[in-house]
Amino acid sequence: MIEMVGAKAIGSVDNVGRFARFVWQSMTASLKSLGRRQTYPLIWTQMLVIGVRSVPVVMITGAFVGMILGVQAYDQLRGMGLEERLGVLINISVVKELGPVLAAVMLAGRVGGALTAELGTMNVTEQIDAVRSMGTNPVLYLVAPRFLACLLLTPFLIIYADLMGILGGFFVSVIVKGINSQPYWSFSAAGVELWDVSIGIIKGFFFGGAIAVISCYKGFTCKEGAHGVGQACTEAFVASFISILALDFALAVIFKAIYNTFWSLKGLV
Amino acid sequence: MVKEDENNQAPETSSNGLLVVKNLTKRFGTNVVLDNVSLTIEKGKTTIVIGPSGCGKTVLIKHLLVLLRPNSGEVYFKNRRIDNLGENELNRLRTHYGFLFQGGALFDSLSVFENIIFPIKQHCEITSWGQVEELVKAKLAMVGLDGFQNYYPAQLSGGQRKRVALARAIALSPEVILYDEPTTGLDPVRGDVISELIMKLQRELGVTTVVVTHDMTSAYKIADRIIMLHNGKIIADGDAEHIRNYPHPVVQQFINGQVSEDDLAVLRMSGTISQAQFLPRDFEQ
Ligand SMILES: Nc1ncnc2c1ncn2[C@@H]1O[C@H](COP(=O)(O)OP(=O)(O)OP(=O)(O)O)[C@@H](O)[C@H]1O
Ligand SMILES: [Mg+2]
Repeated sequence: MIEMVGAKAIGSVDNVGRFARFVWQSMTASLKSLGRRQTYPLIWTQMLVIGVRSVPVVMITGAFVGMILGVQAYDQLRGMGLEERLGVLINISVVKELGPVLAAVMLAGRVGGALTAELGTMNVTEQIDAVRSMGTNPVLYLVAPRFLACLLLTPFLIIYADLMGILGGFFVSVIVKGINSQPYWSFSAAGVELWDVSIGIIKGFFFGGAIAVISCYKGFTCKEGAHGVGQACTEAFVASFISILALDFALAVIFKAIYNTFWSLKGLV
Repeated sequence: MVKEDENNQAPETSSNGLLVVKNLTKRFGTNVVLDNVSLTIEKGKTTIVIGPSGCGKTVLIKHLLVLLRPNSGEVYFKNRRIDNLGENELNRLRTHYGFLFQGGALFDSLSVFENIIFPIKQHCEITSWGQVEELVKAKLAMVGLDGFQNYYPAQLSGGQRKRVALARAIALSPEVILYDEPTTGLDPVRGDVISELIMKLQRELGVTTVVVTHDMTSAYKIADRIIMLHNGKIIADGDAEHIRNYPHPVVQQFINGQVSEDDLAVLRMSGTISQAQFLPRDFEQ
């Protein structure tokens, strides 16, 4: 019994170590591949697959988030006679939290699943070994372009989600519920700072990087067979989802501290 | 070169060994696949590895370019120890090798053309695409598949895939080529063409060749030396003539394709086929 617990513990420490090594390798390989002209076409391809093709789903996600917030919050604010503040509520939630997080979750499903399945299949059919056998580092050839594409494009996708969320909120509040658009926007403009928008977008780098690294790692360490690939995909999604939430929490704490020390001083200057 | 004793595991130290394996042991969990194997592969020669299915032939040749790392023992390439090198250094070394995977391991998202130029693209500055196209055409012609450049692996038959993989393995004109069952899954004529190709590469370019095979016709034809693996050990080692006359019963059974009395006994013991069978349900009802 104790042996089993011990073995489990050693196993998971081992896994954490291997994952950390993989993260490190992915990052150094990505930096290196920025200096290699051969990898640029690979990055473009991945950007197309990962980024451009995700635009519609991410926009739909954003639009629904905005609309749902509008529908849910309208009655409560109207009860207090504050319905003109609806814009602040919707827009700050969309831009700061819900847009980035839900867009990232969408990407974890759409992109992460595809990455794990692709690399996992390559792993079990020895294609990754084939890359090695021809003297190419598989992390450089396979992971770096995917990592870079996710890292660079997730923030842009979040901007799309934000825009659609804002439009969705506007649609429900102003067009459906008939709130006066003048105060709706002016309260929004006063309530949402550039800071709020920026941290939402900066989160995108972290979320994108995490999704790519986790999904690629799961693909690279996938077990034999169709079952192994399926299991790796499931694990990749769950792990990505949890790390998105954990990162969101950690970043919220960090950014709060930064905001309190620096951004508030801006008013004094 | 001919070794007499099946227990002879003394590490050979001949300096013309291009690839040297010393006391290599490889385990997967508790399954000991290679047990203290020592082997010297000479430059410019063709070495054939034979042995029953599952005896560790693939595992052995994967160690020669350190796609697998030994649990104990050493691997040398050009008198340099390589089994403990980092992946980056190994990658530099591996450009001297061509490796044909048993399953082909073609990149299924790339076309035949892109598969073959993969190693070229990775390691050479391509200045003229015309030249590259010529080269791909020539390599594909060698395996009888010119004209298939734009096919994807999924559109090819098993034997065709194997041959494309072979063309890819020789794309960079390597010094050492390791073939894992190059003729398996091919018709006899095509298999013979591949044997000829292996000989031609070895003769004309002086390539050091290691071939894992079950195909004894091909083995006798191309071998300078044949080694036989059994239960994780080398049980026979010598030229084709030596192997053919080697008195060890396992070797004789293997090269003549005869089943042993023990195996037959198992078949007889298992009763008649109809007793052991589960018949599929009749789904018509
Ligand atoms: N990645 C692995 N994990 C666990 N066991 C393995 C692995 N690779 C090989 N083995 C084991 O090693 C043994 C030898 O495998 P290997 O593939 O070398 O056989 P082989 O001699 O090439 O057989 P065949 O002629 O059928 O290809 C098998 O018993 C197999 O179970
Ligand atoms: Mg094999």
